[in-house]
Amino acid sequence: MTQRLNNIKEHLQNSLFEEPSIKQVKSKHPHDVVIVSAHRTAIAGGFKGSLKDVNTDYILLQFLLQFIQHLPETLQNDLKQIQDITCGNVLNVGAGATEHRAAALAAGFPYDIPFNSINRQCSSGLTAVNDIANKILTGQIDCGLALGCESMSKNYKNINALGDISDSLKANPMARKCLIPMGFTNENIAKQWGIDREIQDKFAAESYQKAQVALDNSLFKNEILPIPLPSEDDENETEKNTKWFSKDEGPRPNVTKDSLSILKPAFIKDKGTTTAGNSSQVSDGAAGVLLMRRSLANKLGIPILGKYIAFQCVGVPPEVMGVGPAFAIPKVLEQVKLSINDIDVFEINEAFAAQCVFCINKLKIPMEKVNPRGGSIALGHPLGCTGARQVATILNEMATGQIGVVSMCIGTGMGAAAIFVKE
Amino acid sequence: MFLQYYTKGFSGYNLQYSPYYDDKIALVTGSNFGLVGNGKLFILSIEPNGQILETNSFLTKDCPFDVAWNESNSNQVLVAQGDGTLRLFDTNLKQYPIAIFKGHQREVLSCDWSLVNKDRFVSSSWDGTVKLWSPARTENSLFTLSQEDKSKNMVNSDKNCIYQAKFSPHDDNIVIASSGSSIVSLYDLRINTVNNNNIICQFISNSGLETLCCDFNKYRPHIIATGGVDNRIKIWDLRMLRSDQTKFKGLNNNVTSCVNEIINGHALAVRQIKWSPHSSHHFMTTSYDMTACIWNDLSFNGKTYTGRNNMTHDTLNHGCVKRMTRHTEFVFGADWSLWGDPGIVATTAWDGYTYIWNALR
Repeated sequence: MTQRLNNIKEHLQNSLFEEPSIKQVKSKHPHDVVIVSAHRTAIAGGFKGSLKDVNTDYILLQFLLQFIQHLPETLQNDLKQIQDITCGNVLNVGAGATEHRAAALAAGFPYDIPFNSINRQCSSGLTAVNDIANKILTGQIDCGLALGCESMSKNYKNINALGDISDSLKANPMARKCLIPMGFTNENIAKQWGIDREIQDKFAAESYQKAQVALDNSLFKNEILPIPLPSEDDENETEKNTKWFSKDEGPRPNVTKDSLSILKPAFIKDKGTTTAGNSSQVSDGAAGVLLMRRSLANKLGIPILGKYIAFQCVGVPPEVMGVGPAFAIPKVLEQVKLSINDIDVFEINEAFAAQCVFCINKLKIPMEKVNPRGGSIALGHPLGCTGARQVATILNEMATGQIGVVSMCIGTGMGAAAIFVKE
Repeated sequence: MFLQYYTKGFSGYNLQYSPYYDDKIALVTGSNFGLVGNGKLFILSIEPNGQILETNSFLTKDCPFDVAWNESNSNQVLVAQGDGTLRLFDTNLKQYPIAIFKGHQREVLSCDWSLVNKDRFVSSSWDGTVKLWSPARTENSLFTLSQEDKSKNMVNSDKNCIYQAKFSPHDDNIVIASSGSSIVSLYDLRINTVNNNNIICQFISNSGLETLCCDFNKYRPHIIATGGVDNRIKIWDLRMLRSDQTKFKGLNNNVTSCVNEIINGHALAVRQIKWSPHSSHHFMTTSYDMTACIWNDLSFNGKTYTGRNNMTHDTLNHGCVKRMTRHTEFVFGADWSLWGDPGIVATTAWDGYTYIWNALR
């Protein structure tokens, strides 16, 4: 009798049981949002790089053409499975709503697939991923494409909106802080938390070194889709002499702490610590992440790269906007009840060395878990593209079963972070 | 529509509609909630005026936990009993069974008669075995299906209990069983049993917690549904069990993909699950939360696999067509009527009430 009673009791007690959060995060459900494809272009150097003469419409079109070619055949033949496209972009007028929709059409997406542009500054690419994931989670769509695209070479001139600010905004102390150039917000962090030039240069040099190792070992091979460059001589345009752009232009060999130490401060003369060497590079590029519901992926027989878990965005004081990840990461971890120790890889955008170092120290993240293949200081930071680029990178560098966090700071004082599991 | 029958002093464990007559139900109950003392098998008749009458009953020494009509004799009912025996009763006789099947070491928790090979039935028991029987042979079972392979160490559980074993309604060689270790096993009886291994596939069903029930879909041979102590209802496609058993950070990260899932479909453990005999995508569950529920499996629309699921595509009800809340205790037993308008069901609970109601209206 006692055994039978205990048996029934256990059926009831266990109902209060909660699965360990790690297990929950990794469990597979038909309603999960999963990533089936994540790629990027190589990232070109700004103003002087391979993509300096083209704008985002060209970059996005060429990227999408390649992206479609790399999709599983079932999808290639039935692009209408993709039910929405969101593209992150910062500098284009209107976040590129018109020309990027046009690029999607030109790439072969049927006109009945809708398109929208999204701009949350440097997190635009990741916000696009979150936008598509949310639409899948609510059942609005089953499958969607998140993109990020930026040509800083062509559109950097749009970054300074200071000219058009009304006097009432300039008079408001909080509003005024949104207009502080990013480099100065970084100087504020360096000063406030005592992150000296040497620490910053060391961190930046490591980013270069890691990126160089990744490049030497072709670790970006799977995530980069080479795109053709426009030929300089239109008449001789043939398959043969098309030049393909397939290699990141940011990383340089033999960068050391000492070689960076000779650079002059870029924002505050003499006393500043932020230099061109320990800041992210101005660059051009595009990235794309295809998300769908697991049940659809299984139905179509498409292999799954990873699972989208959660996303959070937080606000921080605009004058130290670089601290964003230090607040966004705990918030997203808390949502799914994970801790820093549960995470295997962090892709934290290196807008500037000082803000990145601050976030890593604040969260006590082991340095070897951060940006194992280098970050934006070495690879470049094409603003709207970066978030999607990081997702493509993290899904390619993680091993099956590992959990990764993608995070970045956001101009005007915000931070975003998202969690993914590699499958 | 609600018809009811009250078994005073006896708590309902399970019931089954007769496959021969549209007005007959076999119901098994236990005194003291089946924990101790005797039980009773009721043969109920549904009168044209809606009354339910007892036409015969048999007092048993221990609680009968499950019941199955003999598929080849309209007067015979089999019960799975707490004392480790299975007993076959003739509904025209009184008091005593016509056959007793001994072999299990502990409580027999389920019995199921094959719909294809009608001189076979299976039983599952707390002793951790599934046994195959012929009604003609009472001394011992035809054979014992192999136990779970403990060496695989899929879960850290010592729960041997096999709560339910069921024949496939499509193939008399296929049996599924769900167990206290959360493992669902698929057996093929054609496989040589010398090595004591006729398991063709095994997977963890309910997050490592006890899987209390399982059932084969009547229309789609590869689809099964399970329910258990994690309050979840899962639908599996046996052709598509992607399982990777990676150990990670000390946790057994065993994840097999199901095709559809209802998380917290019930507030407490799911006790019974039964696919509709009339629809390829409707099923019923009963639970410790005192409700019985009719569900629409949104991953299938009657013709084709839809890629939809109950969590995303019906955020409000998760595909619940009807929730029956009349019971006032754990609902343990349920069956669909094969007769009349599709959708008539019967449920029985620890409150002693058996209700007959329309699931679709």
